[in-house]
Amino acid sequence: MKNSLPEHRKERGFSQQALADELGVSRQTIISLEKGRYDPSLPLAFKLSALFGRQIEDLFQPDAE
Amino acid sequence: MNTEQGTKARWGRSRFGGSQATLISVSLLAGAVLSLGAGLLFATLNFPGNFVLATLIMAAGLLPVLSAGCWALLLDRSTLRGATKNPEISVESQWYDKAAVGVFQDILLVCGLGAAVLSFIEVQGSIGLILAAVVGLAMADFAVRYLLIKRAEG
Repeated sequence: MKNSLPEHRKERGFSQQALADELGVSRQTIISLEKGRYDPSLPLAFKLSALFGRQIEDLFQPDAE
Repeated sequence: MNTEQGTKARWGRSRFGGSQATLISVSLLAGAVLSLGAGLLFATLNFPGNFVLATLIMAAGLLPVLSAGCWALLLDRSTLRGATKNPEISVESQWYDKAAVGVFQDILLVCGLGAAVLSFIEVQGSIGLILAAVVGLAMADFAVRYLLIKRAEG
């Protein structure tokens, strides 16, 4: 799954660690999310959506089939 | 950003309050009492030789495990430095699940094949040792799988 998390994170001035602390997850989670190696659970996607003030589909886009 | 960080301790604090030193002391004490009890039980039931020596050796072996178990039971995770607030939605939780699924399948395979082979040949051995070997295999399998998944997906 593609995502625009790095852009939104930098736009908000968050480091990866700061974003991880805000969400209550490990920094590795943010790294894996940004690399597209980890598809977030719905609770995590909703947390990101609320934090960035965006819809989930603005943050994550499914891969083209 | 994280104002709680300052109040967190390396070994955390008890869910019933108190300092880090209190938690460690209580965990060690509870672990010592439990391991001594288990040592006495072992020596009473199983050991025909030196009763005191058997009790102490068994208790010494169990002390680290039971103390760590008591610490885990008494710990308030929110006071532990470096512990994430929501581990269940962290990527490590997914790695854990994947590794655990793999281990479950491996154990089914090993136990199934082992049972099939042992139905043809008779092997004498301690059931306790066999179960310990299965647990050891599962733990080693889990460690290898977890590291491989972490390397591939981290």
